[in-house]
Amino acid sequence: MSSPPGGELSIDTEGDIVATRRTVRGLAVDLGFGLTDVTRIVTAASELARNVYKYGGGGVMRWRHLQDGSRPGIELQFIDHGPGIADIDLALQEGYSTGRGLGLGLPAAKRLMDEMDIQSAAGAGTQITLKKWRSN
Amino acid sequence: METNNISVIKVRDILMVTMPPDPDDTAMSALQERVLAAMERYEAKGVVLDISAVETLDSFFARTVSESAQMVAIMGGRTVIVGMRPAVAVTATQIGLTLGNIETALTVERALDLVATRTAARKSR
Repeated sequence: MSSPPGGELSIDTEGDIVATRRTVRGLAVDLGFGLTDVTRIVTAASELARNVYKYGGGGVMRWRHLQDGSRPGIELQFIDHGPGIADIDLALQEGYSTGRGLGLGLPAAKRLMDEMDIQSAAGAGTQITLKKWRSN
Repeated sequence: METNNISVIKVRDILMVTMPPDPDDTAMSALQERVLAAMERYEAKGVVLDISAVETLDSFFARTVSESAQMVAIMGGRTVIVGMRPAVAVTATQIGLTLGNIETALTVERALDLVATRTAARKSR
């Protein structure tokens, strides 16, 4: 069996946030997600891509197809080498923000996707993995 | 990029602002300045913000639009958002993006009526 399709996209400019949205939209559509789920996935990716650009000093998004039996899914990984998140629980609280945002980015991504995993520590960068499974 | 441009035109006393499908953050930030400048230049009564082409409404988009509407309100204008796509509405609601207290309408015609109604009400005072 060949390894499932995957790829990487750098997030170093503001325009890369738009590029991330376009790439993720294409991936989600190709995997057969419905329009509402496509919108959820793209919105979550947009939030995290902006975090990587604004707070992480740039980084990458890695993506790959998932397969669980007959059920396809998508995995998106956002990686930066920025200051990291000192208190992940706090960052997941709605309304908490260190920047000028609404503090909705991380909680939004968590709500919109099926799974979210955060690996981070102060000074050690951030790696956030999102998964969404197709429902039908 | 041409496709990223936000169009601002005057229809009678009202500003019609049309958002592109996927505006970048710079385009969104420019929205505020352009709308406020046009409010002053045309002595507009309000803004109809057409987001029917918009495919993704994230927290930055919501904050920028909310702030713009607040600024328009301070200048005495009314902002009505029109044409939110169903999938966008579902997603925005799920993550708690309320767009402040901005009024919404399903069609541009109704939105123009809403802004015009307020104008008429003011004149009768």
